[in-house]
Amino acid sequence: MEFIDVSYRYKGEPDDALLGFSLSVLPGRATALLGPNGSGKSTALGIGSGWLHPATGRIERGGSVAFLPQAERLAFSFSCLEYVSFGRAPHLPYLAVPSGSDEEKARAALREVGMGTKMDRRITALSGGELQLVRIARALAQEAAYVLLDEPSDMLDPAHAASIGDAIRRLTASGVGVLFSTHDLALALACADEAALMRSGRLVASGPTAEALDCEVLGELYGTPFGLTSLPTPLHR
Amino acid sequence: MTEPSRKAPGRLAASLVILLAATAAALLFGRYPSPGFINPGTLLEDPLALRVVLLVRLPRTLGALLLGAALGASGAALQFVFANPLVDAGFLGVSQGASFGAALAMVLGGGSLALFGSAFGFAILALGMSVAMAGRIRFGGAVLRLLLSGIAVSAFFSALVALLKYGADPLKTLPEITYWLMGGLSAVTWKTLSIAAPIAAVSIIGLVALRWRTALLSLDEATAASLGARPRLERTVVLGLAAAGVAAVTAMAGVVAWVGLIVPHIARLVLRGDGSPTVPGSAILGALFVVVCDALSRGLFSGELPLGVTTSLAGTVAFFALLVGRRINVERG
Repeated sequence: MEFIDVSYRYKGEPDDALLGFSLSVLPGRATALLGPNGSGKSTALGIGSGWLHPATGRIERGGSVAFLPQAERLAFSFSCLEYVSFGRAPHLPYLAVPSGSDEEKARAALREVGMGTKMDRRITALSGGELQLVRIARALAQEAAYVLLDEPSDMLDPAHAASIGDAIRRLTASGVGVLFSTHDLALALACADEAALMRSGRLVASGPTAEALDCEVLGELYGTPFGLTSLPTPLHR
Repeated sequence: MTEPSRKAPGRLAASLVILLAATAAALLFGRYPSPGFINPGTLLEDPLALRVVLLVRLPRTLGALLLGAALGASGAALQFVFANPLVDAGFLGVSQGASFGAALAMVLGGGSLALFGSAFGFAILALGMSVAMAGRIRFGGAVLRLLLSGIAVSAFFSALVALLKYGADPLKTLPEITYWLMGGLSAVTWKTLSIAAPIAAVSIIGLVALRWRTALLSLDEATAASLGARPRLERTVVLGLAAAGVAAVTAMAGVVAWVGLIVPHIARLVLRGDGSPTVPGSAILGALFVVVCDALSRGLFSGELPLGVTTSLAGTVAFFALLVGRRINVERG
């Protein structure tokens, strides 16, 4: 997936939300988008998913895309299995309902993210972390070439944030290209191969995560000094 | 909260069997030759009883089945489309549009066909106005815009109905309009049924066929779009199908309230889940609800109760019971 000099401005807004943004997302690699609030991360993901269309520039997608927006409206208590089965929609004709094999793929996806024992649980009864895993299972069931996630570890406890990192790792291991926005530097370091840093709608730096997340660069990006501290961190399972 | 069950197909089949039994019972229930149930054997001996069943109760009961199924299926589908479990066709202006159309035909003195055509036409016009106005609102998501414009269009047609009632002949037309607005199947004949049935059948079959795509539309637009849906187009298709069904049965039977709102909740309880089987479940249980309410309306007292009054009484009691039992959880909407 390639963003080529993409710009975007929301209706009625004076400034561009995205300006001359170029980035490549490679199959089997995860890229973390970092930057202050309002820097254009969600806009970039919206354009990557096809939900928003670039005003100028273009986007090239080398395959289908699954998108997990940051917040999701859940007005009905679908079971996890019903919800993950929605991931099969792009593979089904308009009037079809999921077949036995679609349901089997949904089950496999739930098992893959460690939610195999909660297939019949209602999604509105899940914790935030479990719900995020089930949403990733939906993206897995979609069998897309690229998965885009908007702040996947937002408001999750450290253990669930770590399991989201594991799920992202498994996606890339299976050849999927992943692009996710985050404020969680630990998540970026744990599972992103590359980091892209954004400010005011522009890409300001990108490169291998460990190199890009330099204290000086981050200090400049967020406008506050950064230093290295040692924090207790959940170990990979 | 109850865990969802994967027994929906079995429960749907059981509901269908109960519906068939209730329909047969409704045909045998009434006030001829005496209040209560007729012994089926009597039909062979009493030609008048047979005529009452075939010419009066059968079209009426078929009308009740159609009315309940159309209102139930469209209520469930609209709740998915609006991602809101407290919505029914009244929120799109469809019922009020039909009311105005019917009242106008009565004031102008048209026959039953003119009344049906006018009610149906204004119901569809009201939907068109809701959709067109929603497109001109410049804030909020598509669903909120449609809901707001639907409420405004409903209020607009309610005001027009009030105006017609105000100017109507108080001895003849006003009671006609008032009675029609309460809803009822007493005027249903094979003729009106033959016009409403094909439209309602297309609506019910279409909504049931699209149940899974419709459930998918309850996810937010960006998510639905990333799953290959075209939310705007697909929403319009479901709205059109639902409105056509509601318009046809409302033109036939007047405003029968609460069915579209309450029946999907009962279906979710019966099916132990919120998924796509809610749509066929609501069609079956809606039909059951209306067949039972209609039989009670016409058979319980010597004078007939308006069907809309019976469904409103039963519906509001059920709604309150569901609210108190926390079976309706609006917080999550």
